[in-house]
Amino acid sequence: MSNVRAHSQDDLRMLRGSVRTLFERAGGIARARNARDKGWDRQVMNELAHAGVLGVAAPEAVGGLGMGLTAAGVIVEEVGRALTPEPVVSAIALAIGMIQRVCPGDAMLATAISGKIACALAWQERGLRGYSDQMACRFDGKVLNGSKAWIAGAVGADQLLVVAQNDSKPVLVALDADGKGIYSELRRQSDGSQLCDIGFVDAPGKLLAEGSVVSEALSTVVADATALAAAELVGVSAKALELTLDYVKTREQFGKPIGSFQVIQHRAVDLYVAQQVAEAGVSEALARMDVSADQGARIREASRAKARACSTAKRITRESIQLHGAVGYTDEFDIGLFLNRALVLSAWLGDAAYHRARWMDALEANEAGR
Amino acid sequence: MTDWNALSDEAFRRQVRTFFETEYPEELRHLPHRAKFAEIRQWHEKLYAKGMVAPAWPVEYGGMGLEASKLLIFYEEQQRWGVTRGRDMGVQMVGPLIIKFGTQAQKHYWLPRILTCEHIWCQGYSEPGSGSDLASLRTSAVIDGDYFVINGQKIWTTMAHDATHIFMLVRTDSHARTKQEGISFLLAEMNQPGIEVRTITTLAGEDEFCEVFFDNARAPRENLVGELNKGWTMAKALLGFERIFIGAPNLAQNALVQLRTIAQGRCMFSDPVFRDRFAKVALDVEDHAALYSRFADQLKRGEMLGPDVSMLKIWVTETFQEITELMIESAGPDGGLIGPLQLGNVGVDVLANFYKARPTTIYGGTNEIQRNILSKAVLGLPG
Repeated sequence: MSNVRAHSQDDLRMLRGSVRTLFERAGGIARARNARDKGWDRQVMNELAHAGVLGVAAPEAVGGLGMGLTAAGVIVEEVGRALTPEPVVSAIALAIGMIQRVCPGDAMLATAISGKIACALAWQERGLRGYSDQMACRFDGKVLNGSKAWIAGAVGADQLLVVAQNDSKPVLVALDADGKGIYSELRRQSDGSQLCDIGFVDAPGKLLAEGSVVSEALSTVVADATALAAAELVGVSAKALELTLDYVKTREQFGKPIGSFQVIQHRAVDLYVAQQVAEAGVSEALARMDVSADQGARIREASRAKARACSTAKRITRESIQLHGAVGYTDEFDIGLFLNRALVLSAWLGDAAYHRARWMDALEANEAGR
Repeated sequence: MTDWNALSDEAFRRQVRTFFETEYPEELRHLPHRAKFAEIRQWHEKLYAKGMVAPAWPVEYGGMGLEASKLLIFYEEQQRWGVTRGRDMGVQMVGPLIIKFGTQAQKHYWLPRILTCEHIWCQGYSEPGSGSDLASLRTSAVIDGDYFVINGQKIWTTMAHDATHIFMLVRTDSHARTKQEGISFLLAEMNQPGIEVRTITTLAGEDEFCEVFFDNARAPRENLVGELNKGWTMAKALLGFERIFIGAPNLAQNALVQLRTIAQGRCMFSDPVFRDRFAKVALDVEDHAALYSRFADQLKRGEMLGPDVSMLKIWVTETFQEITELMIESAGPDGGLIGPLQLGNVGVDVLANFYKARPTTIYGGTNEIQRNILSKAVLGLPG
């Protein structure tokens, strides 16, 4: 799209380097363990905001960096590599992505990009196909009633952005997360994060936007979040593979490193090749989404990315445990943290099989339309 | 001369597609076997007239000089329409060798003749005792006045019976310290008394591979490419070209198109299990193409390809095999049929694809050898 600023490979390398440094200084992978009890860290989110990360994909005109999904993908790969607990993808793609599209003039956009407030977008009720007129959540102009499920980034959020209906028109409503009539249920996930479902009973909210702009924006941001979740998974599997390669080079049995055995070598190579294919496929998908205004094509690319990233991360994180042997099954070794994050990211916004099905549908729809 | 890169990708695709659809002979579409030159001569002449024989060569040598994205489009369109790769060993292998290491005189003499197909090339690498361990090769070339005298045997030489020339690795110093030293790159004419060719019938029943016997065959000394005894280093540098060529998406793309034809003919796209498996291999092909274009870009920038290029071959050949397995399954009770399976007015030769996929994981360095290379040279694993 035209609001994506051209950027060079050098720009992206610098961006990657600075984000990587930021996460290392914050404490690296150890934070994934701490987050089990403490959740994500407001301070780190503020540093990310200060570095411009939260507005990376938002146009410059609304205070973002205007670097598109390509640059956002580079950032969230680093999020994946460091097992960063902060909900970066949901902030960039869902919350800020939604506000920038449906109400770019609202003061909430600047405060969200600057990290002053954390927002979470609540849209799913059942299924993953974006806005549906079957939605049970109703807004009457003042209060919201109904429930939302699987709300990413809800724990620790200041504002909830809820997609609902008013007189069969789609609406986007903002609520204070600690306001009246909000009942949340948390369920713990394998990486220590919490799945959040929320029920609303006469919860007071403010209308941000209504009409087809809401439903169209929702399709766009869900596709974006899907593709960025794929990029985060690519980061998870990249780092898991690195740790595993280091391990097989140093772990000795029968008087030599296990990485000198051909059976280990060939398995390591297969994981490496799979990872390279995933990196190439996902980054091409993000680049295509940046230059396409065709919703169908963008959804197809997002599904392509997520299908690839899920299947690759699944394979690499499982095989990494096997190649680590018994210590891979311990909580003490870091490799298990990558498996646990991959489980959560794969389940979020649709797994490989779901996205292969959607990719096929989109392919046929595209050909039928030609 | 057309400046292909000046076109938009879409305009380029349209031009190539229109050209194939209007000019490519119907009876040659999706040829189940490797074509002899006589079968495709007229098609080659059309390609030549359009300047489209060598898509990846630089323009100054008569190539199309395509950037990576357009090269991929060219291949995609070729596969979509089932256009034969032709007798392309000259374009794919000898040309890059001479462009990279040849003298001005060699470029001047050999390159135009590759483009016109006045010379048709085969590759003399493997020997009966030197397959995966190629550097152990024994075919010798000894200097005798203005000539090399060649003795020995090559095997698995693709289409040698339809070639006018052979480019080969020969041993020029049998006393070298290591087996890799003392090997040279030599070009020789096939039509001479000292060379005998016998075909080898494959599992598919085709005479595609040959044995080539050298009994005091001769090649002029100016047919040496690069330095004497430095052939192995050059062969390794060339492997980049070979491995990006055998790691190209073509064969898998073509098989995918044909799988689709069967699946449509048999209404298999209404089966969710089949849809998932089709999507999986289709995405394997698509994401491979993304990786391939990274390497193709590297080549376009004039960089040599590193050992990591081996990953392309591993991925695409194994995907190709998986696609042909799906083709067989889709054929159901016709899965053992020789010749085309008729689906309405189109035919798909299921087993020709299946057999064609078998040697891809063997030739050009088996996939196991490729894994050894990646393990040591890229991942740095010990031993």
